[in-house]
Amino acid sequence: MKNTLVLCIAMLGLLSAAGPALAHHSTAMYDMASPVTVTGTVKRFEWTNPHAFIFIDVKDDKGNTVEWEIELMSLNHLRSYGWVRDTVKAGDQISCTGGRAKSGAASMISAMIKLPDGREIKS
Amino acid sequence: MKTAHAALFAIIAASVSPGAQQAPSAPTPGESPYRAAARLPVRITSFAVEPTSIQPGQSVTLSWAVENPTSTSIDPLGRVAPRGRRTLTPGVTTTYTLAVTGAGNTADKRTVTVVVAGTMPGASPSDASAAGGKRAAPRTADGRPDFSGVYGYGAGPGGRGAPPPPTAGGLPATPTLKPGAEKYKVVRAADDTGQYSTCMPPGIPQTFFVPYYIQIVQAPKHIVVAHEYLNLFRIIPTDGRPHPADPDPSWMGNPVARWEGDTLVVDSIGFNDKTEINGYRHTEALHVVERFSRPDFDTLQYEATIEDPNVFAGPWVIRRTFPFLQEYDQINEFVCENNRDYKPLFGNK
Repeated sequence: MKNTLVLCIAMLGLLSAAGPALAHHSTAMYDMASPVTVTGTVKRFEWTNPHAFIFIDVKDDKGNTVEWEIELMSLNHLRSYGWVRDTVKAGDQISCTGGRAKSGAASMISAMIKLPDGREIKS
Repeated sequence: MKTAHAALFAIIAASVSPGAQQAPSAPTPGESPYRAAARLPVRITSFAVEPTSIQPGQSVTLSWAVENPTSTSIDPLGRVAPRGRRTLTPGVTTTYTLAVTGAGNTADKRTVTVVVAGTMPGASPSDASAAGGKRAAPRTADGRPDFSGVYGYGAGPGGRGAPPPPTAGGLPATPTLKPGAEKYKVVRAADDTGQYSTCMPPGIPQTFFVPYYIQIVQAPKHIVVAHEYLNLFRIIPTDGRPHPADPDPSWMGNPVARWEGDTLVVDSIGFNDKTEINGYRHTEALHVVERFSRPDFDTLQYEATIEDPNVFAGPWVIRRTFPFLQEYDQINEFVCENNRDYKPLFGNK
């Protein structure tokens, strides 16, 4: 029941003015209540619908490199925030703030990204 | 799970340099990161014109880029997309002003000037929409309202912006299930990410309610309603013809249209039973009547009356208004090429 409620709230968020205009699916698989920031080096940028993805290499506390999958909005929303297909490039150091997968996987949805020159942009 | 969280916190700790100041955009504890992102200030990252001086009759290229805007406009051109290039042939020396607004009343403004040899700066004709007052909707050669153009997301209950006026005709804005039709109410599992996550067509009227732009192209005997979402489109005859006999069930239905004064009335049957409307499934008996009107230049008003005698106790209506977007002249390609199975991310045992 609780999960259903969370999902309903997420779906309402889909259309509410202040909430995420997440167009394509709910955010119920991500922990949006405890936002995280993950910093790493861009390996690949998939400028695609229904969502764009960035894959970054992140160093953990043991010095191991972990590949994170960063989900972004769909292209129409990214364009409205000022994105183009090369806003991030392989080798860029970026920080992504959003919600991590509830499974604990190295996967998150990002609401904003800090670019190499310090500019922060909605994502 | 606990181990995974511990590893995550280690990553966060490693990624934040000691003593680093939290940006004002950083989420406060428990705050949605989207809410925090909505505080990001607007900025102009570039605004240029090439060349900056020309002979009369020559052209220049104006280019601009903006990030995190809520509105972007160039005087004297009017509203523009956040990024763009435009070729212009100013007749006299002209100053272009890029003005943007964003979250928390943040704003930015830059100007560039093109000197046209032998001319004085001209009075800049302001964008008519900025001059105040509502402009009338355009009309086609045959005197009909012209709906052609690109429109933004809908406003209305659960939507964005001001809701449209109360429902005319006294029809309810929410459905009542017919007795015994409870099975048509959608109940989702916690890891079901919703009707849109499958990349299948949402049907009518729901394709109007996803946050993607809509483009209407109006011809004398047809109107094309195209949605950026999944690039779904309908080519709707507007000559008052009847439905074909027994159309095959389809995702977007079989539409035929007629004019009632300045309102285009689109009648659709022939739907399959695979879509949902506001949390309810329906049967192939679904009948949707849509009414399109353009009360002023900037507004498309939309109303959908929904009937399914197998599911609902009576007709009900959904209304939205869609803003005309003069800054766009074409919707984008949308192919669902990178869809994911999100179930593993829930981590359910």
